Amino acid sequence: MNDTAFPRIDRRVLADDGDALNFCSTCAFSQACLSQGMDKSALMDLHVLVEHVGPIHAGDHVFREGDPFDAIAAVRAGTVKTYVVDRDGHEHVLGFHLPGEVIGLNAIDEEHYPCNAVALDTVMLCRFSFPKISVLATRVPGLQQHLFRLLSRDIGNAALLAGDWTADQRMAAFLVGLSRRLAARGFSPDRFQLTMARTDIANYLRLAPETVSRVLKRFQADGLLKVDRRELELIHRDQLEALAAPILRH
Amino acid sequence: MASTPAFDPALLRRYDRPGPRYTSYPTAPRFHPGFGEAQLRDAAQASNGDPIPRRLSLYVHVPFCMSPCFYCGCNRIITRDLTRADTYLTRLYREIGMTAELFDRDREVIQLHFGGGTPNFLSPAQLQELVDCLRRHFLFSSSPDLDLSIELDPRFIDPAGIAALAKVGFNRASLGVQDFDPAVQEAVNRIQSVEETRAVVDACRAHGLRSVNIDLIYGLPKQSLEGFARTLDTVIGMRPDRLAIYSYAHLPELFKPQRQIDAADLPDTDTKLSLLQLAIDKLTRAGYVYIGMDHFALPDDDLARAQERGSLHRNFMGYTTHADSDLIGLGVSAISHIGDSFSQNPRDLPSWQIAIDEGRLPVYRGMRLDEDDLLRADLIQQLMCQGEIPVAALERRYAIDFDTYFADALERLAPLAADGLVRHEPGRILATTRGRLLLRNIAMCFDRYLDQPADASSGQPRFSRAI
Repeated sequence: MNDTAFPRIDRRVLADDGDALNFCSTCAFSQACLSQGMDKSALMDLHVLVEHVGPIHAGDHVFREGDPFDAIAAVRAGTVKTYVVDRDGHEHVLGFHLPGEVIGLNAIDEEHYPCNAVALDTVMLCRFSFPKISVLATRVPGLQQHLFRLLSRDIGNAALLAGDWTADQRMAAFLVGLSRRLAARGFSPDRFQLTMARTDIANYLRLAPETVSRVLKRFQADGLLKVDRRELELIHRDQLEALAAPILRH
Repeated sequence: MASTPAFDPALLRRYDRPGPRYTSYPTAPRFHPGFGEAQLRDAAQASNGDPIPRRLSLYVHVPFCMSPCFYCGCNRIITRDLTRADTYLTRLYREIGMTAELFDRDREVIQLHFGGGTPNFLSPAQLQELVDCLRRHFLFSSSPDLDLSIELDPRFIDPAGIAALAKVGFNRASLGVQDFDPAVQEAVNRIQSVEETRAVVDACRAHGLRSVNIDLIYGLPKQSLEGFARTLDTVIGMRPDRLAIYSYAHLPELFKPQRQIDAADLPDTDTKLSLLQLAIDKLTRAGYVYIGMDHFALPDDDLARAQERGSLHRNFMGYTTHADSDLIGLGVSAISHIGDSFSQNPRDLPSWQIAIDEGRLPVYRGMRLDEDDLLRADLIQQLMCQGEIPVAALERRYAIDFDTYFADALERLAPLAADGLVRHEPGRILATTRGRLLLRNIAMCFDRYLDQPADASSGQPRFSRAI
């Protein structure tokens, strides 16, 4: 429903678009490329410049399960939800992808996308055609490593939620995780907007939607955080970190 | 904002110009037919998606009245045919069913209000059935601050009826009085004795209702200072918890019933201002606190307390203590405020009925608020409720530079500041005691739509005057 690019609060530090010489501020690949001494102009010489895609509006799909896999994409702005639908028609949320993060990685060894990806708000993407990035990987030794690192982080996120944790621990780990990921891209770690619906959070954390609200209300009553509609302020991030510690250690 | 508003007739005369009452921003004339059922469904679904979904406020409109009051500008139908209530209720139950399905079942109802028209056109038994129906479809809060309120015409209910309403669960009542002066009552076609009114107030108290509100109107035909003074003394003697003193807006082109009023009988502007001054003087001397706009409350009333805490809120039902709720309007002409949207049901009974009979949600116009609307709505809300614009908080919340963003508005505000209506302080703009009766005029400086015509079909929006 929300057309405002995520996270609204930090409009002033929202991704800049970059130019022929500079990477976009949230570029998921700049780290790998820069550490190998390749700047954007060098990439341009390789004719693998990324393609800017978007805006993609809330509810529109980036790709669907079974679509031929030809590109990976990095989120520049907004949030992308990935999910699968089981044989009984139940949706299972795999993850939420924030600015600076990559979607489509779990398709790397397949010919088709193994899941659906949908925009939760107004999304802007950088799209890398996969054949081209393979060429690039031979020229930029660190890139492959970087891709694998991103990939394993993706898998790690899913695994930690499968454990036998309490609702409070799951919720805390989810919030601390978001906070850390946003902070890593230069956004505020303490004030951000939850662009995903309550049912999506519940589905992802394997909780009932009512439980999501109940836990958040309790956190709020305990002064750990403040919720105003979709906006969240972490007041005692340290206490949330402590709650989430057993999960985040894994 | 707990101080008494200052009264300066010359100033008030100068600022007495038409303007919205800001029970919403943007105001209803901005709603458009492009917002329909699909948009309403989306808004409801999005509101369910909040991590802690808002609680719900329900408004039910009962459009019927037994007898026409000539001053009325509300949406109402005059009839003595009580069977019309049954056909109305049949549709209303269907609308309740369809609407309730849009909202997650764990969303608590914290406020239910019946307005009209005359809600007590329905019998206590019908009201019981209606509240039962609502309780079946929605989850009512078990919290002690659940408000069940109803507007009552004291001429058509007796103490036994109040006892029955208390049993239904109503804990707040709002009684229409307007003026006890017989000459005024005759001129507005509303003959209502002090005795029958007092009997209803006493019955509300006897049956444990938490709060009683009385509505008065100044500026009515044949109104005099002596007569209104007697009315005020009588009403203050009944000690209602809340009092609303509305300004009569004579707009006969817009409101047909008002054509029965002889404009020659209306008090002139000076008399009207004196009536307002009289009311403010008497009420504040009697210990009432000025809440804002037209509203006064006893210091220990929830409204006065909420204002002190900074948690007062204003919506279509007036001032309320329930700030963080989505408002669902049910019945003909009712307005909803769900998430970032406003929507309204058809204002005529046939269109409303047809929609429901066809299984459609009866919404005929509305709007989705954009970021700018939300910011201005927040600002005007704070101004109306707390008497100040929290500049620093708004800058933080909306990531704006206030002086740049509102350069136009501040220019419009400058003459008001020069007249001493507002004072610029670090981090906020404060309505002074002189400005407190002119909050609408201050808010108008920040209304982006005021100079733009509303949609072509409805023509130029018409608003009542400030005083």
